[in-house]
Amino acid sequence: MSGAQPGMSGAQPGMSGAQPGMSQPLLVLDNVTKNYGAIEALKGISFSIGKGEVVALLGDNGAGKSTLVKIIAGGLEPTSGRMLFEGKEFLAKSPAEAKAAGIETVYQDLSLCTNVDVVANFFMGREITRKFLGVPVLDEPAMEQVVEKALASAGTRIPSLRTNVEHLSGGQRQAIELNRFVHFGGKLVLLDEPFAALGVEQTRRGLDMIRQVARQGIGVVIITHIMQQAFQVADRIVVIRQGVVAGDVARNKTSPDAVIDMITGETLAGAGPAG
Amino acid sequence: MSPRTRHALEFVLDNLVWFMLVFVLVVFSISIPNYFQLGIFANIIEASSVLGVMSIGLALVIITGHMDLSVESVAALGAMAVGILFCSAGIGLGVQLHPEWLMVPVSLLIALAVGGIIGAINGYLVVKVKMSAFIITLASYIWVRGLVLVISGGRSAQDLAPAIRWFGIQRLLGLPLTAWIAIACFVVFSLIMAKTPFGRHLIMIGGNETATFRAGIRVNRNLVIAFVLAGAIAGLAGWLLVIRTSGATANLGVGLLFNAFAAVVIGGVSLKGGVGTLPGVYAGVLLLSAINTAINLMGLPANFTQVIHGLLVLAAVLLDAFKQTIRQRLA
Repeated sequence: MSGAQPGMSGAQPGMSGAQPGMSQPLLVLDNVTKNYGAIEALKGISFSIGKGEVVALLGDNGAGKSTLVKIIAGGLEPTSGRMLFEGKEFLAKSPAEAKAAGIETVYQDLSLCTNVDVVANFFMGREITRKFLGVPVLDEPAMEQVVEKALASAGTRIPSLRTNVEHLSGGQRQAIELNRFVHFGGKLVLLDEPFAALGVEQTRRGLDMIRQVARQGIGVVIITHIMQQAFQVADRIVVIRQGVVAGDVARNKTSPDAVIDMITGETLAGAGPAG
Repeated sequence: MSPRTRHALEFVLDNLVWFMLVFVLVVFSISIPNYFQLGIFANIIEASSVLGVMSIGLALVIITGHMDLSVESVAALGAMAVGILFCSAGIGLGVQLHPEWLMVPVSLLIALAVGGIIGAINGYLVVKVKMSAFIITLASYIWVRGLVLVISGGRSAQDLAPAIRWFGIQRLLGLPLTAWIAIACFVVFSLIMAKTPFGRHLIMIGGNETATFRAGIRVNRNLVIAFVLAGAIAGLAGWLLVIRTSGATANLGVGLLFNAFAAVVIGGVSLKGGVGTLPGVYAGVLLLSAINTAINLMGLPANFTQVIHGLLVLAAVLLDAFKQTIRQRLA
């Protein structure tokens, strides 16, 4: 948050999307590229995300969305280009580094360990511990309490938090991941097709969750195939086509048809970064 | 199904190998004359200490979804290193330390270090060179045994220093101290696996390595530690072995690997990784030992042992599949 305008981005999250230049953006991507051998998956991606802003990342299959998310989340290193996170040069060499910087990610293929229970998955990598003779010991009751609260407030019903995840349905699994990012928050959340396995009601709750997270000043990038979801939740829509940004527009200044045209490449109306 | 029967059933499934152990002990006690004696039970525990310790290390690595075939050879190398230094006959150098008890920690540290170093080499190659743990540790299984042959020249060391031998002779509550060491190892490592973040991470890495990496767990570091621990524990098994036999021969411990495998699988550890507990492994070790003792008492030729162990492993794998189907019904 910039010192000169402290209330700017936090107080009016819905507005900051239209003019990301007004306050210091949370994450700036500057000509990020990624090559796999001779194949250019990303040919130069530039856009930015403000605090409390929800950006929907759209594009056809193979456009490079998931690659881009992995680069931001530290799972992949870009071939060239640079990123600024909170105004500072940023490159996460591992998911651990991205997480430490405050970037949470929900991946398309679920990142759960099905051989352990709900609580263990929820706290994966950041377990609550207490010291016993100087040795960190898992504090199971404390963790269980947190998970119970988090799931209850999100309206997710899982019969027993001590069931191994392998016995849960796809929707329940996705709910665990979604509640995990809501609980841990951070500064930026990346969601790669988070609602693929969810029912209608759960999806609605999921979209509510995203708005609620954004209201706390957290930036959200959501990848989706469903235009309706993008228009329901996003402040800004960024379209990627063949490894470049084919469109970057405020939601209220475009229409689903225009976005579909950008995705398929029918027209380049509104192309390039806003401004 | 009421929650209570469900919980009871889950409890039985989780501890199935313990129920099998009790069942086998009861059957043997009834059907085999002289089986039901405290001395026999103490003997079962005593005879399983080396195998038990080795199985811990193997189980740790298998639970993380990898493999360590080298534990048997590493134990032999640890045993040979201690044997050469502290035995006074054969190829033993008969090194004396003053005071005498100092030989205990020094020999123990040497065995642990030898094992830890080979574990570190295994771990490094698996993590950094990204080769299959099966192949790397198969290679270690061969070259480490070769190293044992090289440093011993194929000969043996006898007459271990009495101060170290003391652990195999001194008894506490009817069990030699070596058996207590094995039990202590099981307790300590069971607690580590069940109660600490490190243990939890190993289990989760075995379940879904990508997910743990994405969650920010330092997977490579944890894996290397697991391999180093497996090596060091194998070194400890070697230390117990040299005490048990009061010396070291070049072919010491041959065949233990497959018994350890059998114990780990019977104990409910899945070779796919992520599934299994150390108390289960200990029950598996005791089960094998109980059956060996029964074979001895019945006067069957010892060659039967291997046939029965093989069948047991098969039974364990079938049982594991059966357990999975029951669990799916429960959920």
